[in-house]
Amino acid sequence: MHYSFANRRRLFLFLMATPAVLYVAAVGLWPLAQGIGYSFYKYNLLRPARTQFVGLQNYIDIFSDATTRKAILNTFQFTFFSVGLQLVLGFALALLLWRDSRFNRAVLAFLLIPSTITPLVVGLIFKAMLGADYGIIGYFLSDAGIGPRSGLLTDAGTALWMLILIDCWEWTPLMTLILLAGLKSLPGDVLEAGQVDGATAWQRFRLLILPLMLPSVFLALTLRTMDAFRVFDSVFVTTGGGPDDATNTLMLLGVKEGLQFFNVGFASAVGNVTLLFIALIATMLLLVVRRADVRINGK
Amino acid sequence: MARVSTRRVVFERVTILLITILFLLPVFWLISTAYKPSNQIFSAPPRLTFEPTFDQFRQAFAIFDVVSLVRSSLVISIGTTVLSLLLGVPAGYALARSKSRFAPGFAYFFLAIRMIPAIAALIPFYLLMRDIGLLGTWWAVIVFNTMLNCAFVTWMMFSYFKALPPDMEEAALTDGCTQMGAFLKVAVPTVRSGMIACALFCMMFSWNDFLHPMFLTTLDAKPISVALLTAYGTKDITWGTLGALAHFSTIPIVLMALFMNRYFVQGATNGVQ
Repeated sequence: MHYSFANRRRLFLFLMATPAVLYVAAVGLWPLAQGIGYSFYKYNLLRPARTQFVGLQNYIDIFSDATTRKAILNTFQFTFFSVGLQLVLGFALALLLWRDSRFNRAVLAFLLIPSTITPLVVGLIFKAMLGADYGIIGYFLSDAGIGPRSGLLTDAGTALWMLILIDCWEWTPLMTLILLAGLKSLPGDVLEAGQVDGATAWQRFRLLILPLMLPSVFLALTLRTMDAFRVFDSVFVTTGGGPDDATNTLMLLGVKEGLQFFNVGFASAVGNVTLLFIALIATMLLLVVRRADVRINGK
Repeated sequence: MARVSTRRVVFERVTILLITILFLLPVFWLISTAYKPSNQIFSAPPRLTFEPTFDQFRQAFAIFDVVSLVRSSLVISIGTTVLSLLLGVPAGYALARSKSRFAPGFAYFFLAIRMIPAIAALIPFYLLMRDIGLLGTWWAVIVFNTMLNCAFVTWMMFSYFKALPPDMEEAALTDGCTQMGAFLKVAVPTVRSGMIACALFCMMFSWNDFLHPMFLTTLDAKPISVALLTAYGTKDITWGTLGALAHFSTIPIVLMALFMNRYFVQGATNGVQ
């Protein structure tokens, strides 16, 4: 009797999980697998008759072609600097908002608006504000002699940095929120002990708060890095990858090749390389989290 | 954190208030463009005062079928949200309650779906939708976004159910409650706030998404995000008109996030654990 109940329970749970697993497999994994298949072919939808198996050629092209190499470098530069800046800014804001008060909760709600707004609209706002001719920021900067004449988003030297700035504006609030949750779950007694010992604010931060926060920090980093690496919306709207290839990113390259030029084979290879990079970065960051966890719990 | 001087609290509050205002300035700027006459939005030098007008809204309604754009956005985001919860909540429950040693692995599999760059799956999916004749419809977007979102919901609900002791359901089951009854009447009501957080995130994701509908829908099914992009490229549409149109894309989602702030905070912080 007991045995049959356990079996029925198992069957029930199995049936509850099955639809989602099958759905993700059919709509997610199956296309992914097909994409891996396509990536070994020279396959253009506009010239289907000329489809041919090319082995690893698409992948070789990604790493040898100057345009695609630039896109890879840009993606890494963008991810590194925008996530790094967001971490520093987000941590500072989280510390400022740490004390639990109605004021701080209300401020946080409004601070989160940039992260909820449509990313496409974010791109449009900044494109308008940074323009050198009429943009409210761009005009004053170029009038004061700071910044390029042609406009911050259209100059090869500044465009990528402007995209990093836009990303920081958009996602620092979310970073703040995640780190704030980490701060609020810190053990209160440890922090009070620090206060009694008469440690300075900086000592408390460096010796008490920061080590305890490492797991939260790395989890926030993992999450934001995965998203930043796939940046698309704001780049597509503001620069479209230009000038030349100065702000081209992997996602932008894949979307242009695949859905505008219908180079299915090459675009699939770009998508797979992006996925591989993200998986590698995420694994590395998660390994660091685990080590930080062991170090803290080991103490 | 006891014994803090009032002076320091005031200093902290002023700092944080200034930073928040700085973060909100671009949003104010966007909103204000919709109430400016076209010749006052951009002028060299830019000016800070203007005479408010509703012309831009009149213009936006004249050029765009705003109602139909908002309806498309609503259908896509509500459809995605409902389907994602229907698939994800039971799956999250099953994985949290299962004693199988494969269950945590499956949960991480759903989390990993989050990492996929859309482009890797989108091209083959595009071809698939073309072949079965769904390309260009709301369904194509809903089916694809549901895949991404139900994986997210499964992971979130897995952690919510995991944090909930199974005692109550076990008691209900021994009292002769059916399996489905124990799930629906005992387990689900206790994670209501988690489900609201999931729904909020699904709504936000689908409402703000424009890459997927841009390629998967045609003119008559396109949501407001895609309309904004196509409008931008057109010469005779001014910035003010765009700002007016952007109202319909940003204000609903911002209001939702503001009013449901508790769930937003909960969802964003739960998603990382």
